[in-house]
Amino acid sequence: MKNALKTLSFFRNVVFLKWASQIVFLVGLLYIIWSYIQNAVVNLEQTNIAFSWGWLGETPGVSIAEGMYTLPNSGRQMIQVGMLNMLRVTVTGIFAATFLGTFLGIARLSKNYIVEKTSTGLLEVVRNVPLLVQIFFFQAFVLTFPRLEVFDVGTYNLHVSAKGIAFPWFNRQPTAYLFWVYLIAILILANKIYKWRVQILEREGRETRPFLWSFGIFFGLLVAGWYGGYRVMGVIGFLAGYISTGVDLLPAIFYQILFSSIAVFIGYRSTKKFIDSKKSEEAQGIYSDDDYFKIILNVIVVLLVVVLMFSSVGLGLSNFLVGDELVFKADWGVPQFFDGVNNKLYWNPEAKIVLDAQLDGMKRADIIDWIAVPGTEVTKGDVIARATAKDLKGDLNQEISIYAKYTGVIEEVFVSKGDTVKINEKTYDIRVTDSKPLELSRPRIEQIGTTKFKKYADGFGKSLSVGYFAIWLGVVLYTAIFISEVVRAGIMAVSKGQSEAGLSLGLGRGALLRLIVLPQAIRVMLPPMGNQYLNLAKNTSLGIAVAYPEIVAVGQTLYNQEGQTLPVFLIWMAFYSTVSLTISTIINYYNRKMKIVER
Amino acid sequence: MVDLIKKNAKSLQESLFSSVGSAALTIATTYLVINFFRGMLGFALTSDKDWLAVLNNMQLYMVQAYPEEDFIRVWLSVGLTFVLAGLSIGIWRSDDRVKSSQVFNSFFKGGLGVLFFTIIAPTNSSFMGNDGSVITEEVFSMETRLGILIPVAIFCVIFFSIRFININFTVNSSDMVFFYLFIPVALLWFIKLPTIQLDQNNERIIPDPVMPIADTTKIPWTVIFVSFLASYFIGMYLKNIKSIKSIMSLSWFLLPLLIFSWIFKKPQIDMSVVLGSDLPIFGAFLLWGFLVITFVNNSIFKKYYSTYLGLTFLLTLVGVFSGLPMLAKTCLLLIALFSVVVPAVSTSSQGKRSLLIVWAVALVTLTFLLRGGASDTGIVVPGSSIFGGFSLTWLLAIFGTYVSFPLGVLLALGRNSKLPIIRIVCTGIIELTRSVPYITWLFFASVTLAVFLPAGVEFNLIVRVLMVTAFFSGAYFAENIRGGLQSIPKGQYEAADAIGMSPFQKISLIIMPQALRAVIPTLVSSAITAFKDSSLVTIIGLFDFLTIGKTVIGNQSIPVNFVGHDRENLIFVAIVYWIFTFTLSRRSMKVEKKLGLGER
Amino acid sequence: MSIIQTKDVKKWFGDFQALKGISMDVAEGEVLVICGPSGSGKSTFIRCINRLEQHQEGQIIVDGIELTNDLKNIEAIRSEVGMVFQSFNLFPHLTVMQNITLAQIWVRKKNRAEAEEKAMELLERVGIPEQAQKFPGQLSGGQQQRVAIARALAMEPKIMLFDEPTSALDPEMIKEVLDVMKELAQSGMTMIVVTHEMGFAKEVADRVMLFDEGQLVEENTPEEFFNNPESDRTKLFLSQIL
Ligand SMILES: Nc1ncnc2c1ncn2[C@@H]1O[C@H](COP(=O)(O)OP(=O)(O)O)[C@@H](O)[C@H]1O
Ligand SMILES: [Mg+2]
Repeated sequence: MKNALKTLSFFRNVVFLKWASQIVFLVGLLYIIWSYIQNAVVNLEQTNIAFSWGWLGETPGVSIAEGMYTLPNSGRQMIQVGMLNMLRVTVTGIFAATFLGTFLGIARLSKNYIVEKTSTGLLEVVRNVPLLVQIFFFQAFVLTFPRLEVFDVGTYNLHVSAKGIAFPWFNRQPTAYLFWVYLIAILILANKIYKWRVQILEREGRETRPFLWSFGIFFGLLVAGWYGGYRVMGVIGFLAGYISTGVDLLPAIFYQILFSSIAVFIGYRSTKKFIDSKKSEEAQGIYSDDDYFKIILNVIVVLLVVVLMFSSVGLGLSNFLVGDELVFKADWGVPQFFDGVNNKLYWNPEAKIVLDAQLDGMKRADIIDWIAVPGTEVTKGDVIARATAKDLKGDLNQEISIYAKYTGVIEEVFVSKGDTVKINEKTYDIRVTDSKPLELSRPRIEQIGTTKFKKYADGFGKSLSVGYFAIWLGVVLYTAIFISEVVRAGIMAVSKGQSEAGLSLGLGRGALLRLIVLPQAIRVMLPPMGNQYLNLAKNTSLGIAVAYPEIVAVGQTLYNQEGQTLPVFLIWMAFYSTVSLTISTIINYYNRKMKIVER
Repeated sequence: MVDLIKKNAKSLQESLFSSVGSAALTIATTYLVINFFRGMLGFALTSDKDWLAVLNNMQLYMVQAYPEEDFIRVWLSVGLTFVLAGLSIGIWRSDDRVKSSQVFNSFFKGGLGVLFFTIIAPTNSSFMGNDGSVITEEVFSMETRLGILIPVAIFCVIFFSIRFININFTVNSSDMVFFYLFIPVALLWFIKLPTIQLDQNNERIIPDPVMPIADTTKIPWTVIFVSFLASYFIGMYLKNIKSIKSIMSLSWFLLPLLIFSWIFKKPQIDMSVVLGSDLPIFGAFLLWGFLVITFVNNSIFKKYYSTYLGLTFLLTLVGVFSGLPMLAKTCLLLIALFSVVVPAVSTSSQGKRSLLIVWAVALVTLTFLLRGGASDTGIVVPGSSIFGGFSLTWLLAIFGTYVSFPLGVLLALGRNSKLPIIRIVCTGIIELTRSVPYITWLFFASVTLAVFLPAGVEFNLIVRVLMVTAFFSGAYFAENIRGGLQSIPKGQYEAADAIGMSPFQKISLIIMPQALRAVIPTLVSSAITAFKDSSLVTIIGLFDFLTIGKTVIGNQSIPVNFVGHDRENLIFVAIVYWIFTFTLSRRSMKVEKKLGLGER
Repeated sequence: MSIIQTKDVKKWFGDFQALKGISMDVAEGEVLVICGPSGSGKSTFIRCINRLEQHQEGQIIVDGIELTNDLKNIEAIRSEVGMVFQSFNLFPHLTVMQNITLAQIWVRKKNRAEAEEKAMELLERVGIPEQAQKFPGQLSGGQQQRVAIARALAMEPKIMLFDEPTSALDPEMIKEVLDVMKELAQSGMTMIVVTHEMGFAKEVADRVMLFDEGQLVEENTPEEFFNNPESDRTKLFLSQIL
């Protein structure tokens, strides 16, 4: 009893010590951070480049080698191009790497000595050489091909030059994305129909031919879609257009308030839930020190978010959303596609119409007699203009493609693309045509203007710039190798008994892999696979080394212009965190789904 | 012999041609592989490649523009590393033995490999000229092919048939290291790699008699090899000294610091200062340490131990702010810390002895570092960076790991802590650091970091990069170590609590040793990643190994024009990186197996 | 004079109340056996006694020291109370000898020679001196548990807590551990033992307690407890376990 009655001095109190030490730690940390920020403020003042977001709205005055806009009109747009370029590599890369990696992983488990050794050899080479060296090598590989200028103008099947690699590809009509949406929609529909038929089968015990049904409907809709039906999806562009216009129109303060209130709401909700749970009969409203901390922390975080949203950081991030047109607007906000259902086209009276027909070997056909007046309504088959081609080489018997370009208030968009026709007369009509969403076309080399320089023509086949090729191949191969390890480990984690059970049921090796082993292996594979995707996304930043304008390269160009290194760094951080978070959310979603299936 | 071939043929047939599909796969893959190697060989041998671009720039590759008269420092560093390695191999010499048949078999296989490449090498190969035309030329004549084929075939036959004569002996696997290293060193004396020289018209000539590049390096390498071998024997001899292993570990730990100061600094040693101030200070503190070690567990002294400790710390505090020489200040700090550790270790006479050795080594190193390293005179290198090439790559990799590992341990502990504020802060640091690619952090180091430093404080870009790298790989290490921490059952914490350990003791004696052991494989692969990632500094303009190959030599036009030969150099760079990472990962796999990881 | 005293001890895990007011006394040298169905709070209670868990209401006084948030008191009590776990919790990276000497050297600040001497003495007492240089992974369950007892004893505790020390063991190993515990009880050690070994309780215990749903249902001498229990809950429990 000797100590029991004494009052406890606070420096021996565990709870006091616990919190006191943490608060000292926090205060120390904040002091250090604060002093560094103070340094930054002083230093920036001296160099006359105060932290600002103004450059987001200003014209940067530099061009970008490739991407959505090559001459961006604002810092914001430039960054958007960088983001899209990064996503282009990341998304296609993830699919390619997964495919290749799975293939290699299975090859490494092959009983065939040569196949196994070859894939292991590839693994050991790629894994043990720095990615940057590999990317440089791919770049050097392409760069040592002759310059594009030594080649003749014309159409090729596969073409490699120091400018990049070009190969035949499905040429995307402006409406192609609608077709993809349509395809996904009817795939989901077919899946639903399949399940519905199976349900009937199980309930009523009669043959309902679920596969035939779903496939028949899918095929029918596919054909209908191919011949124009897909344009019903235009409603998406219509909606997206309005949404993005709306997002633009609201002032920055709206977003600051919006995000702050969301934070307040979430904070309030979770705190209330927590307090309510403490009110239950059993818990009797007893709070430990950690519980109090939890509540205080909630309040602090909410306050911090609010303060941050109204500081210059929050203002900048809100500014990022408003004012200038958003990237997806050009692609999505195209009301005329909606009307395209009737093959009718309303020309915006304010629109500037530029018709541009191009001939090989000459700069452009001389245009043009207008048949239709801008602002009037045209239908399919109507002639809107008449062009006269002047052939510089005197040979008219060649391919010609004619574009009608439409420049609206929003952005430059194709209205329709004329057929590629053989002509032997000098004058031809430009009509509104109905084109397929995807068309296989071959790459083509053309002259840039009247200069001696050449380029791969836009809209013909696909040309990969050297940078894109190098970074894409680099990250895909590198990630695929690591994925192959994940796949191999995943497959080996499935116990031998499972394979033996499968084999004893008479399954073949392929069926065994597909039906028994892979579904179980995927469960083990998903988390490390997600890690590899995150690595891939981060590795795309090496594009800067081969002049591929992704977000880091673009950011660097921008701060070299404006001197605003800190805001650029914040944008990098926000962007990469968002991408990482998205990837891990998707992976987690599938992970959970897999686990539920297990039960 | 016939049986053997028959048996092999049978198993080959089973693995390659068990079914039609398998056979098709075998043929297709073989075709692909052979064509790939043919293509590579053809690529390497065409006359538009200039491999002398690689060979003639070895010095650039290794040390960039490090002054030639100071090369001895580099050689000494390399030599010291090898001596330590030799000692370690000797001390930790395993008893694994390799059978002679295994050795012969590996020779036989190596020979087969050479045969394979000689046979498939293309006679003619083509490359694309600048005008887009395809130029075909003979790259591998029949005479050359036969000239290689015949001797190698004989070599193969010898080592294949040797297994039928009963030669049976075994070799210690550690000894083999020396054999494999002996070959390249010996080759330096025989193989002549020509150096390009220019004549009056600036035309390239290869002088006659050939001036081998190896001439400048063969003597140092031979000396190093001999000392390596000698230290191996010394190591075996020292094996039985009790505390030798901890001394070796400590030396490995100190080596980078030593080399760092050695290579960066060019001390001007003033003998009068050394004799007048350094030596007395050194002696005094050695004595102090000796007294503490001897008497700390003496029952009388024990009573006053806390008073002694308090006085020492007070003295240190006063001393640090007084006008004492730097060496004395640092020694004071060191003895104060040392005094805290001593009572626990200095319990047996053997512990006392090893403590004394540790203390002496620490003092010697400290004196050396302060006198040699802290002097203002540094090595002067033309250009912005202090040095470059492979040395820089090595420096970044080793120091990156060196600094980031402890940081990773701390962050992992913080993230696993029961204290919520610390946990949140550490989680935040780890996640924020990891969310952004390394290259953005490098840009942060090269352009943004300076903004945050107080006015007047400036760090060399290399140092800034090291700071950022410490955080970046620290965050990755932290995640790995956290994995290990989570694999430790709760009972271990409770058992440590129940026997009354303090939190610090609990972590350092019970939890960390187990956690680290569980994650050695991931830690090694993280370290390998850090080594590979060091190549990224190329992008921010440091002259690392890759930059030399890609940019420096690729743009070199004087004295010899090597513009446009970056593919050869990139391949060389890739091969060097490959050798290091591959050996490292293989070694770690072996060590892992030896430690019997995974089994508790 | 009671060495352990608890008054109305309550403990919650979040919403769930694991201890609903436990009051009891343990005299010096007494052997107390606690039994009760799984989940009834036995472990939670004895873990509160050396503060591996923290109680939220009530008082626990061990050897005159009240368990509060006082750092010094916690340290003092930890070194007076030894604990043996169901799952042994030996340190797998250390040898048996190191397991036993570790805390002596680092907590009790003994020198190594003394610590090793003490360790050997204890290993002999628990009957496995020949295993000193092995790692825990190389021992059988019964041997491991005996090492765990030796490890706890090395701290020279006044009180020993046992949380189901035999329930992870095979029948033939149970005996060897119980023998060690009996010997310990006879030497006059104060012990609280959570166990379902009723033979042990009958033979060694001075008192037996039954826990149910966080409450102390019955407290009795072994004879009374087994032959003539007061509460119906005890009868039910005994009928299930015997
Ligand atoms: N750390 C914990 N968190 C939440 N509930 C716990 C925790 N430890 C124990 N419990 C709960 O407290 C109750 C009592 O547990 P315990 O004392 O281990 O029971 P016994 O040892 O009698 O089997 C159980 O219902 C258990 O689920
Ligand atoms: Mg229990």
